[in-house]
Amino acid sequence: MIVTTFRTAAEGIAREQALLAAARPAVLLWQAQDDTIVVPRAWLNRAAVCTILPDMMRSGWHILPRGSGGGAVPQGPCTLTLAMIVPLSPRARIEDGYRLICGALSEALNRFEVASGTGAVAGAFCDGAWNVTAGGRKLAGTAQRWRTTPEGRIALLHASILMTPPPDGLWPALATLHCAAGLSQAPLRPDAHVALSELLPKTMRVAAFPGALARAAEDRLLRPLTERQRAA
Amino acid sequence: MSNDVRIPEDLYEGDEDSVITAWLASDGARVKQGALIAEIMTAKVQHEMIAPASGILKILKQQDEVVTKGTVIGQIS
Repeated sequence: MIVTTFRTAAEGIAREQALLAAARPAVLLWQAQDDTIVVPRAWLNRAAVCTILPDMMRSGWHILPRGSGGGAVPQGPCTLTLAMIVPLSPRARIEDGYRLICGALSEALNRFEVASGTGAVAGAFCDGAWNVTAGGRKLAGTAQRWRTTPEGRIALLHASILMTPPPDGLWPALATLHCAAGLSQAPLRPDAHVALSELLPKTMRVAAFPGALARAAEDRLLRPLTERQRAA
Repeated sequence: MSNDVRIPEDLYEGDEDSVITAWLASDGARVKQGALIAEIMTAKVQHEMIAPASGILKILKQQDEVVTKGTVIGQIS
């Protein structure tokens, strides 16, 4: 099976951490069955965030911490997560990791006749310069975790792709979380996002996408991140 | 004798600022060399900070503080 299905995002995150600890090149595509909002670990140290967790649970949203950077993101039936464990050359730059994972996504999307780019999107959740976009809307968000080991540096590259439109309840839940976390970012706009199911030509199935994405990711996995490649 | 917990100059290329997103050990806690004690975020990249020595941790820079490469964020004595 190309996509590993977990009941909760916690199981997927734990699997990513195990792969990072193994420190060998790897690709993992996973999806969680439960609707979850994943937040940076530090958010759960904030009293105001902890206070709202019971209400979030009652409205159907599990809140989980994760170890990669960024903001609050949904992970559940509407998302597909791509995780790549990649050895880094000593002079690797932050951008190299983003180019690698965004490049894999872009190549897979090309196979489905979807033109994509990268960039920030005003009103998007967990906004950043390395969103994967289509038509100026956010399709996927990316983040990284770098670890230094005696054998060298290794990175967990992470992309969360909207496969289908998220439930309507996501937006008020994210707004509540942002408020509790004290974020002063622009209000979220649902129309700043787009799901793969809204982009594919009618003749193509969303279910075929993970296979193309796995191939594109694996093709890039063993290429070292070198300055020579950056220049190419 | 104390050992600095310093953000390595070669943690990443470029001059971006970082933020201490989490201390995973408390001020005054006993930590072991090699243990993960803090996380630093730069451009949505989470970097792991490892204890350079075993001993008692003194936190000098708090969570959410902006720091640069070379900054001493704690000491272990």
